[in-house]
Amino acid sequence: MNRRSLMLNAAGFATLAALGVRPGSAVAADADVIKFGAPLPLTGALSPEATKQRHGYDLWAETANAKGGIKAGGKSYKVEIVYTDYASNTPRAVQSAERLITDDKVNFLFAAFGSGAAKAASGVSEKYGVPTIAAAASSVQVYDQGYKYLFGTFTPNDTLTEPLANIVSKNPAIKKVAILARNDLFPLAIAQELEKSAKKRGLQIVRLERYAIGTMDHSSAITEMRVHSPDWVFATGYINDLILIRKQMNDLGLKPPVLSMIAGPAYKEFIDATGRLAENVSSASWWHPAVRYQGKDIFGTTQAFNELWRKKYGHIPDYAEASAAAAGAIFQLAIEAANSIDRKKVRDALASLDVVTFYGHVKFGPTGQITSLEPPVFQIQNAKPMVIYPAAVKQADFKFGSV
Amino acid sequence: MIYLQILANGIVLGGLYACIAVGFSLVWGVLNVINMLHGSFIVLGAYIAYFAYVYGGIHPFVALIPCGVVLFLIGYALQASVINRVITAPVLITLTLTFGLNLILNNAMLAAFTADYRKVNLAHPLGSIQIGPVYLPGDRVAATILAVALTILLYWLLRNSRIGRAIVAVRMDHEAAALMGVDISRINAITFGIGAFMAGAAGALLSIIYPISPIGSSAFLFRAFVVCILGGLGSVPGAVVGGLALGLIESFGGLVFGTEHVTTLAFILLLFLLFVRPTGLLGKRGYE
Repeated sequence: MNRRSLMLNAAGFATLAALGVRPGSAVAADADVIKFGAPLPLTGALSPEATKQRHGYDLWAETANAKGGIKAGGKSYKVEIVYTDYASNTPRAVQSAERLITDDKVNFLFAAFGSGAAKAASGVSEKYGVPTIAAAASSVQVYDQGYKYLFGTFTPNDTLTEPLANIVSKNPAIKKVAILARNDLFPLAIAQELEKSAKKRGLQIVRLERYAIGTMDHSSAITEMRVHSPDWVFATGYINDLILIRKQMNDLGLKPPVLSMIAGPAYKEFIDATGRLAENVSSASWWHPAVRYQGKDIFGTTQAFNELWRKKYGHIPDYAEASAAAAGAIFQLAIEAANSIDRKKVRDALASLDVVTFYGHVKFGPTGQITSLEPPVFQIQNAKPMVIYPAAVKQADFKFGSV
Repeated sequence: MIYLQILANGIVLGGLYACIAVGFSLVWGVLNVINMLHGSFIVLGAYIAYFAYVYGGIHPFVALIPCGVVLFLIGYALQASVINRVITAPVLITLTLTFGLNLILNNAMLAAFTADYRKVNLAHPLGSIQIGPVYLPGDRVAATILAVALTILLYWLLRNSRIGRAIVAVRMDHEAAALMGVDISRINAITFGIGAFMAGAAGALLSIIYPISPIGSSAFLFRAFVVCILGGLGSVPGAVVGGLALGLIESFGGLVFGTEHVTTLAFILLLFLLFVRPTGLLGKRGYE
């Protein structure tokens, strides 16, 4: 191959990748395989999140296949997951989902990542009647569309802010709250929930500042917050935003007694990147590796799941990773309960599921969103996330004060 | 008093933006190449600094020169072997080429380093210096000073060294420069290398400020673009003025209109400037 054709090939591959086409993705139809489609933002801004999802699905598929596959109607089915990359571009997520159903002929779907893309793509799975589990979509607006085939493993956003506000407002010295929110569907929704939770408890909101996606400097917002000397700063965004905000708060001398951030501190990378500044940062998430459940699913107990994860990926799983693995395990439970791979029957089995898994108690409400989870509140203490709430899995008391 | 703090924030931010943009501006101005690799070059520099710190304990302020040198070699090799073949083609061709090269480099970095965000966590950060009501973030200020020093050094080299004069000559008129005995391909490669050097050094400085990940590269590229157009193409002072302008616009804009509208504001001003002064604040006409 001469240099010119090498470059042409490289360009060709780049174009294919940009179009979301995967060479060699056409798999010969196999009767005893259940295909699960997973449209994910494998490249682009959301790719770290997509990797977490993918790891979760992969671990489930591997575990299920190692234990003989999914049993339904007297047969054992192998699990196959078909991925497509929508390059962090929501309109393409919709196309990806449709192509998975019509071209790749998947039996079931995992939803696209996050509330925005999951909502956008949910119309497609509803149209074709494909049961879909969203492993990373929490906003109520995703589920209130009256769809029958969409289920989600995250409880509504206020289930994160309510317990957090409960704990913080117990300290009478905490009066003024400042909120810094990424102007994006989930981060903004959770900020608005916190605003409600705080107001309900008589706390005063001294600032609610939004920042644009891709902001590289938070100094103006932080400087303005400092003028109001808030007792509680609540910042929302993704991990890169929150690392930068934490560092700039310190640089600019904003040191509130309580600092809460969603959704970065649940990830180990946050602690690695902020070091000492991670101390006492509080957060809440839908799951935490310290919870303890005796599950009826393929993973069994939470400890067993943690251990399996650590063996494969070398670290303790976070909530996003666990939720993805749980989505697979829940599909398996529903298919086995339906004793069929018929989409309608599996959909009904999902709707009536009421079972404990390694991830927690799984029961979907009338809209398809899970209602039975109790999301834990945690705080980073001595470089480790410690569970503060719920009481059953509590590891430490909440600490006030800033480093 | 809040205005003093915002002014300080803007100047510090502007210095960093200038540093991000100066290499990009040089390559665009001299070679007429819109280097889409620039953001990835910065990220690669940041990774080298990160690993040098984590595994070798070398402070990024020290590692910035080796980071720059590694990137210079990569940039020189890329220009000499690939980009030089199409250097006389219309700007869209070189843009497409560097776009493709960027896809390759960026995905190679994704494969090698993963997309997880990392940040250099200094064992002895400089902390904040408080002057009256104004907080100056020590690490940021130091990085800005180094960035500006590097930029001044580049300016001095372009003005006073033989190679620098040759680069400026090529920038003004490459045919006339060739007639005067300047080896155009070599100067092109050196210029591209210097652009990459500045990106690598900027990456080392930024590694202590921004979380780094290959997927963050487009944010740097985007800033470089805006700074170049604001300040004017191809001149070092232009990049500094453009950087400071963008830093101050973002800071004061954030105060007045809220942080969410800062990007919109920057673009409106950019469009306005393109309308009334298309050469940028310090740009000169006739250097095309």
